[in-house]
Amino acid sequence: MIQHLTSIWRFRHFWLSLVRLDLRNRYRRSVLGIGWSLLNPLAMTAVWCVAFGQILGQGDWRSLAPILLAGMAVWSFLSASILQGCDSFIRSEAYIRQCPLPFAIYPLRTSLGLFIHFAIALGAVVLAIVLLQNKLSALTVLPMLIPAILMMMVFGWCLATLASFANVFFHDTKHLAEVLTQLMFFLTPVMYTRDMLDKQDLGWIADINPAAYFIDLFRVSLLGGEGPNMERYLQCGGITLVAFALACGTMAWLQKRVIFHL
Amino acid sequence: MAAIELTNLDLTFTLRRATRLSLKEYLLNGMFLNRMNPKLSVQALRNLNLHVQDGDRVGVIGHNGAGKSTLLKMMAGVYPPTRGTCRVEGRICSLFDITLGFEPDATGRENIAFRAYLQGETPKTLQSKIADVEQFCELGQFLDTPVRYYSAGMAIRLAFSIATVSEPEILLIDEVLSVGDMAFQMKARARMKNLMATARLMVMVSHDLGSVKAMCNKAIWMAKGEIIASGPAQEVIAAYERAAKPIAA
Repeated sequence: MIQHLTSIWRFRHFWLSLVRLDLRNRYRRSVLGIGWSLLNPLAMTAVWCVAFGQILGQGDWRSLAPILLAGMAVWSFLSASILQGCDSFIRSEAYIRQCPLPFAIYPLRTSLGLFIHFAIALGAVVLAIVLLQNKLSALTVLPMLIPAILMMMVFGWCLATLASFANVFFHDTKHLAEVLTQLMFFLTPVMYTRDMLDKQDLGWIADINPAAYFIDLFRVSLLGGEGPNMERYLQCGGITLVAFALACGTMAWLQKRVIFHL
Repeated sequence: MAAIELTNLDLTFTLRRATRLSLKEYLLNGMFLNRMNPKLSVQALRNLNLHVQDGDRVGVIGHNGAGKSTLLKMMAGVYPPTRGTCRVEGRICSLFDITLGFEPDATGRENIAFRAYLQGETPKTLQSKIADVEQFCELGQFLDTPVRYYSAGMAIRLAFSIATVSEPEILLIDEVLSVGDMAFQMKARARMKNLMATARLMVMVSHDLGSVKAMCNKAIWMAKGEIIASGPAQEVIAAYERAAKPIAA
């Protein structure tokens, strides 16, 4: 494994330049650039705020909007890691057929691009908290979240790795993943909060969902104002470790067979 | 020191007769899967033993489907052996499928960088080589347009120029001698000759027996994944020609 990681590092120029290319292509296609990529969560939040704030008469949109934005930032990173991760090996087939590079490079390319997108979205969340709620505490909490942000990166990379292997061996994985993430979007506290589930005695739905832990960690830390919850932090660390072990195990088990299934 | 050593090497492909496997199929038909979509074993390479080292110029000849290209890909590390070992010492440059794997949205110049990094270059070592590639491929202003808009010939020129810019210890070639138009072909041939001369070890797959004779000192004749004969190029080629002649003639 150490050998695998060092050889990933040795080829860093390769995948870093590909990530740069992906980002440029993504943000160049529009005049709005970065704003364009934030359009989806912003529009979604606006609709949700109107729907719940006005129609159902629930809560103040100034407090609701950052909660939703935070949920969506984390959720869209994790779900996109799985969905786009599925294509990681397929779209790199030409490289795989020519050069024996460490396979983890390809999902890394996918998840690193998404991660930068996540960082931008997180910036928007902090901005929303500061502007809408005048809570400057979100800024001071941010440095304490750096390990959590890095953990997210590793977790996303692991998800993308697992997804890419699954999609090579079963080529309908992506289709199934699309259905499942759509379903999970509603079962995960993305557009609502965890305590709403607790009130209905449905907390267990969030307890068995790794994504819920990450969403909760970011949401509570940024909006609560008193820094990250240590227990949550450790839980997220544990989840990341398990995912990392799974990804490494899968890599060791299947990497020699990928070429025969492409 | 560059060397390639194959010992008792087998490579078996396992294919499905109908199509690739889907999870739905796997779960629903799990029990009957082997009847409906049977596995096929194709032995691409069998029991290969080979030792080549510094100074060797090896030509691999044989009919289509004999396993020549597969052997080359095995040496490049793309296929892992099913049985036996494949030991390769030295920095490899492989010239096969060179036109694959461009990033279509990136410009020619950027693709030069990607390919170079793929071959293990760093931004520092790239600096000196990028000018060489740009000059050799003669694409001029098109280097700043995305590769998406290139004609097939332009893509091949670019691919060849990039692939041949590094100085490898081991050179693996699969029929890439016919690239581009006449003028470029002559340039390409000259460069290939130069590359072959400087590489410590070369393995080439070719159907052009003349060029194998001219460039190689050793030859391997393969059929159905096995080595039929190996040895000095002249002898192996002569034997191959005798066997390949139609019997009626």
